[in-house]
Amino acid sequence: MRLIAIIDKELKQLIRDPKTIVMVLLMPIFLTILFGYGYSGRSKFPVAILNEDRGGCGYELVRKLINSEDFDVEYYVRTFDEGVELVKEGDVYATLVIPSDFTECLLVGKSTYVQVIYDASSPTVAQSIMQLVGVIVLKYQEWASSRFGTFSIKPTFYSVYGPTVTRIENFMPPLMGTLLQLVPTSLISVSICRERERGTFEQFIMTPVSHFEVILGKFVAYFVATISDAVLTIATAAILFNVQFRGSLLAILLLSSIFLASSLALGLLLSVLSKNQLQAYQASIFVFVPAMLFSGMFVPVRLLSNVAEVIAYAMPIYYYIDAYKAVAMKGLPLSVVTSDVVVIVAFTAAFFLASMRMLKLRVE
Amino acid sequence: MFAVEARGLTKRFGEFTAVDHIDLLVESGRIFGLLGPNGAGKTTTIRMITGLLKPTEGYVRVYGMDVLKNRRSVLRMIGYMPQRSSLYDDLTVEENLYLYTMLYDFSRQEAKRRTEELLKEFFLDKFRDRLVGNLSGGMKRRLALAITLVHDPKLLILDEPTVGVDPPLRRQFWERFRQLVSKGKTILVTTHYMDEAENCDEIALISHGRMIASGTPEAIKRRAFGGELIEVLLDREPPCDPPEFAKIISVNGRKVRLLVDDYGGRSAQLMDFLRERGFKILEMRPVRVSLEDAFIRLMGERS
Repeated sequence: MRLIAIIDKELKQLIRDPKTIVMVLLMPIFLTILFGYGYSGRSKFPVAILNEDRGGCGYELVRKLINSEDFDVEYYVRTFDEGVELVKEGDVYATLVIPSDFTECLLVGKSTYVQVIYDASSPTVAQSIMQLVGVIVLKYQEWASSRFGTFSIKPTFYSVYGPTVTRIENFMPPLMGTLLQLVPTSLISVSICRERERGTFEQFIMTPVSHFEVILGKFVAYFVATISDAVLTIATAAILFNVQFRGSLLAILLLSSIFLASSLALGLLLSVLSKNQLQAYQASIFVFVPAMLFSGMFVPVRLLSNVAEVIAYAMPIYYYIDAYKAVAMKGLPLSVVTSDVVVIVAFTAAFFLASMRMLKLRVE
Repeated sequence: MFAVEARGLTKRFGEFTAVDHIDLLVESGRIFGLLGPNGAGKTTTIRMITGLLKPTEGYVRVYGMDVLKNRRSVLRMIGYMPQRSSLYDDLTVEENLYLYTMLYDFSRQEAKRRTEELLKEFFLDKFRDRLVGNLSGGMKRRLALAITLVHDPKLLILDEPTVGVDPPLRRQFWERFRQLVSKGKTILVTTHYMDEAENCDEIALISHGRMIASGTPEAIKRRAFGGELIEVLLDREPPCDPPEFAKIISVNGRKVRLLVDDYGGRSAQLMDFLRERGFKILEMRPVRVSLEDAFIRLMGERS
């Protein structure tokens, strides 16, 4: 079958092109690491401290926290509510509360406690914080009990539901959006003009291939090759940065493939319209910049100027990021983002049909 | 019915007229050569005939069918070899052939069989797993020719098939062309090698996008000089006045070149004429005019 022959040919060429390896395999890993460190900022957990104790023992514990390698004390708060608020806003992962009778209890050898207000919406982070606080408190207890006699300090926990996203997870939507826009579009955008430039098109189009077969054949081959972008990005983020996905991986992949398809269809259209490879590259970058800026990755679309907002709505990436946040970060089912999906599919169909129409099976 | 019928074929690129009202009639079962220097408009003409380029004026029919309107059926009748190598450098010899057989709707099995057949026929069997990018120029051309034959087309359109090919292989190519024609195929071939063109049944000379002459190589030569050339070696310097049926082209000592309308008919007459005047004819032979001579003369006439 002609279509299968074309797909087979494209895949062989893709595999043999070193550029593909760089774009499809290295790019997702590289960008994930870049975004990961860029967005997470530091490896320490930002925390706040509420020290109600006026004695030296509470201060001693605070010093231990400041010097720890795991925590970054960002705020000192005065009230319990402030501490809760910071966690709820997502400014810190936890607030540590040292009770007012902390020193008093220790000095008389009475058991006391340290309270941790933590964000329960990201279980892994919460768990790590609980463990780390436990370790510090335990060490402190050993040190203190050797001086003041036997007693115990018990960490207690108070859960708060913070924003659904944590800082580290925040980099995922822009990262997925960037990768699934940039890589497929730029890779496929040269596919037709390269054939024209190398002269292979002249022979190819003397066979009875149809417009549909040429476009669909390339589309399918590049889809197969670039789907690994989504998989690799998710894997790298999960392994290196411990990113949590609340929605089902299948739903996330499905959503990402739909967006990937729209990027490929757009790239094909650019390839059909461009005269040569250079022009095609430039066109894909030209499309990519507004996609980056106005898609809600960096600035919420509501805060953009009217013009920028219109541009944002005219690009599939906006709908993808919106849907990704809902599915991957809030754990909502795909049915909730049906309207986003419909828009992305409509864009894909439009790009696809336009490229079929604009494709000329001639040499001029 | 003509294999190719092109009428009033014209292509303008903006101000520039690449091909200017060319008529071409290629009879079935022949080798038709399109001849001309580089930049004469050969490739543009060929591309219009294959339907790859839309003519500004005029039309092309292949076996009676319009190449643009009946594209699909026409494509199956044409085997086309572009001037520039148009093979996939990053696929192997076998993969290139297999791809093209598949593109012409062969079943998987048939495609495999056809690929094997062509690999053997063109002595490419040993290089089947080599990437085309690593092949020599001659081998690339051989593979390109094999690809044009994948679907057993009636008409082969070959654009400068022997450019960059060494002389032994060029001869092989032309032998194969002859063989293909004897099997009933028609070949339309462009070249700027004049010696090659002598092998064509019919040729058309084009220059600056215009047709200068067409016909069999012999007819074209005759037209270029208005007859045939005879070279005579005499025993002494010749007289000034020639017979009324011949024209002196050149005198080089005792060697004289004369132009006559027909060598066969006039040679005896010329002998008589010279003997009557007391000359001894040491040697007399028809001059083999090359197409190149004819072409240069015809070009000169126009400018």
